[in-house]
Amino acid sequence: MGSRQEHRDGDSPGREYLGPARRLLRGVVDRVGLTFVALASFVLLVVVFYYPVATVLVEAVLVDGRATLDIFVDILRDPFYFGEVARLFSGESPVAVAGDLLSADRRLGIVGFTAYQALLSTLASVALGVPAAYILARYEFPGRRTIRSLTILPFILPSIMVAVGFVATFGQNGPLNSALEAVGLPTFDLLYSLEAIIIAHAFYNAPLVARMTTAAWESVDASSVETARSLGASPFRAFRDVVAPQLYPAVLMGATLTFVFTFGTFPIVLALGGIEYVTVEYFVYRLIQDFDYAEAAGLALIELAISLSVLYGYLRYEARQSMQSRGARPLPRKPLRPPSLSVRALLVRVGIVCYGLVAVVVFVLPLANMVLASVTDAGGFTLSHYQFLLERQAEGAAFQVQPWPAIRNSLLFGVASLAVALPIGVVIAVLTTREYRGRKLVDTLAMAPLSVSGIVVGLGLLRGLVFGVELGDTRVAVGGALAIVAAHAVAGYPFVVRTVAPGLENLDDQLVESARALGASRTRALLDIELPLVWPGVVAGAAFAFALSIGEFSSTVILATGTDQFTMPVAIERFIGRRLGPATAMGVVLLVVTSVSFVVIDRLGGDHRGL
Amino acid sequence: MRRRKVLAALGTGAVTAVAGCLGGDDGEDGDDTPADTETPADTETPTDTETPANTETPTDDGSGESNDGGTTDGEQATLTVGTYGSFLDAPSVSPGARVKEEFESEFDATLEWAAPDQEINYYIERQRQGVDLDADMYLGLNTDELVRIDSELDDGLFAEAGDVGRVGDIREGLQFDPDGRALPFDTGYISPVYDSTEIEAPETFEGLLDDEYEGALIAQNPGTATTGRAFLFHTVHYFGEDGYLDFWADLQDNGVQILGSWSDAYSAWQEGEAPMVVSYSTDQVFAEADGADLAEHQIRFLNDQAYANPEGMAVFQNADEPELAREFMNFVLGPELQGIIAEQNVSFPATETATLSEDYNELAKEPPEPVTFSYNELKGSMEGWVEDWERQFISN
Repeated sequence: MGSRQEHRDGDSPGREYLGPARRLLRGVVDRVGLTFVALASFVLLVVVFYYPVATVLVEAVLVDGRATLDIFVDILRDPFYFGEVARLFSGESPVAVAGDLLSADRRLGIVGFTAYQALLSTLASVALGVPAAYILARYEFPGRRTIRSLTILPFILPSIMVAVGFVATFGQNGPLNSALEAVGLPTFDLLYSLEAIIIAHAFYNAPLVARMTTAAWESVDASSVETARSLGASPFRAFRDVVAPQLYPAVLMGATLTFVFTFGTFPIVLALGGIEYVTVEYFVYRLIQDFDYAEAAGLALIELAISLSVLYGYLRYEARQSMQSRGARPLPRKPLRPPSLSVRALLVRVGIVCYGLVAVVVFVLPLANMVLASVTDAGGFTLSHYQFLLERQAEGAAFQVQPWPAIRNSLLFGVASLAVALPIGVVIAVLTTREYRGRKLVDTLAMAPLSVSGIVVGLGLLRGLVFGVELGDTRVAVGGALAIVAAHAVAGYPFVVRTVAPGLENLDDQLVESARALGASRTRALLDIELPLVWPGVVAGAAFAFALSIGEFSSTVILATGTDQFTMPVAIERFIGRRLGPATAMGVVLLVVTSVSFVVIDRLGGDHRGL
Repeated sequence: MRRRKVLAALGTGAVTAVAGCLGGDDGEDGDDTPADTETPADTETPTDTETPANTETPTDDGSGESNDGGTTDGEQATLTVGTYGSFLDAPSVSPGARVKEEFESEFDATLEWAAPDQEINYYIERQRQGVDLDADMYLGLNTDELVRIDSELDDGLFAEAGDVGRVGDIREGLQFDPDGRALPFDTGYISPVYDSTEIEAPETFEGLLDDEYEGALIAQNPGTATTGRAFLFHTVHYFGEDGYLDFWADLQDNGVQILGSWSDAYSAWQEGEAPMVVSYSTDQVFAEADGADLAEHQIRFLNDQAYANPEGMAVFQNADEPELAREFMNFVLGPELQGIIAEQNVSFPATETATLSEDYNELAKEPPEPVTFSYNELKGSMEGWVEDWERQFISN
């Protein structure tokens, strides 16, 4: 929250009383702030991301010291991966391939199927996320702020927890089927199907769509809607022509990120769908397990190319949107209880109640079942799993993961990586919203940490950082708390870029120019003028960056140099043996700690317009 | 305090400790660490000025019961043992703490556990990249992992076990390394577990194809779960290389559900998604501890068989403490440790001489006919088996 502090200082009337040391610091920040952060970001990205990842990806094109494209050609021509499209790469006529693609028994291949399920998951996430945004942005009801703070919660959950919650909720013997049976309706069998995977993906990603859309909705200027209405537009027309265009970029951004995330999905698919539905990422994992690095890297590069193309497409679209500068006066919220008994108002409320029921089933029941799983065993109610956590804390050996250090580390790493991710994200947002050729390409590449296969990043961190490099006689390796924070920040900053850049893009250039003309440095103009104007985006990005750190598993466990650096997700994983109770108890601790943090972040940074 | 630690960690930048390993108090690290005054306490890396705690081990044979791991300056020797995470951390299956305690009370040495998340692949990758292993030995090695190591690394990873006194106590048929490097320290059997209040499980593999068992079995994916791999190997063993894929095609038609991990599958089974699950033959030990009805936790040995999955331990070629490691292996094969490991890891001892409690013998079931593939049978074949299975099963 450093930048926020600074902009407050800037506003304060007491600034002429600054001590000489602080004045000096201010001077330095003013003069070289932006450049320094940009350079530091670049170095950090190279060290903890680009270099490590490159050590793995290079294996796709460099086999036995020889540059080659054979790996790609083989993958592209393999119907197992590319289905009917593989025949296109093998030189068959596009017409024949297109014909077969339209037939009923077409083969999509692993890559095709992965894209297909990602597309369906994206649609489901948008369908679940946008109504939530509507309710959160447009209605006033008790607990609204808390619910808004907690929407992001599913984002941090390890797949093991989601699997437990989903099986208990949607299983043959789950509460839904019991309820249907009780009223004499036919039961359903949802589990181990594509549908189950898609709902789980929506569980993870609808919150993303919802948060981003809520932010945009809350930034719609009420006066523009009022103008439209006064000119005779119906409420629907005003929505379609004035409000909706301001929401599309946010909805599409949420959708794009959802596609990228679900395109790289893996463990949850195997937990709720089964082997029939495995994705590209699964094969990257398998190939790396078997040390078939060349093919793994080739496949990961193809995966990356597809994700980045989708992101690039979105960024081109985003750049074409020119929205009016964001309004100073948001739309007033309506009470949830209808003020009049008009048919329209009632219909809308009925819709909200229906959506509420769906949301309870998809989001609340799985979470409740996770909690339930942590307090039951074969004999019924038990607190023994929590008792285990206390015992481990009291008596655990140094080589064992202990609950309290895990909680403390999660919070510390979360806050620290947030402090690093925010400046990086803001500076990259500034750099990519300037006018120059190819800036969208730079912007796309800056999103790479979201899109590179997690398995590849893990192996890269191992090779590039943990094993280290030979420098002279010394092997320089990097690990420990700082490396973990750096890795988390690199994974989290793209969210900040995505939530801050659209706002910056739409600011009136004259604002900055006037500030510069009055003697403010570029950095000062950013801190005092631009950031306060796009504050909701900054807070949204911060929330996601923090959430990402809290939920992160693989780079934490790889970079930690001791159990004393493990976090809550690592503890959950480590407690799984042949009984899930202890792990679910730790999972509930993760849920509670994270919920409290989100509410606190929201209260600290949100003001009345925060996200 | 916390802040200082963080800053200090930045100061060194060179922390060559094993992920998940607390210790790393071994001499190798010392050479790599800048003799920086900021070297923090929490990185466990000795500075140059410190004499490494362990150098040569002057023991002679591996049979000594008293002490060892001698040192040059009177400090204790440290044995670093790599293993998998749940051996240390999961309350249901973690003898790690007890093993360390017993070892340190009997030997004048320190035992440091390391549990990298990638398990044995972590050490294979270190070796491939030419980096010091930072551990003396590994505990928890399957036959197929040993095969993978040897096909990946021309010079291998492990040294021959050498003179370990209690090798003779190991049960018939458990030894799985033809080159005498890995020694088994326990074994498990993989078989279906079923809820007898729902169904009576079939007696044979072929029985699984009957209509009455449609959708009745949950198994795990051989690419991501040890149990899944063992069950697949069992079908290859039973139906042969030429027959197992046909069996699986029929089993798929009969609605077998293949999930990613043992926990995915077992929790689904517990929620009643299917009455049978591929799991361990020690299932009743957990069920009893949970206060569950044992009728809901019945073991079925298909064709009176179960696939045995012995776990081994072996000393790394470049171990700093090879002699101490050998003594550790001998110690692990002793009657008392064999009993402790079997009961706390909920598996079966590797030796004839283990001390096990009566209850344990009652609840942990052994198949009439354990089957398993030898190292030589797996070598060159197993990757193909799994891949062919994957390509047949997954058809998008």
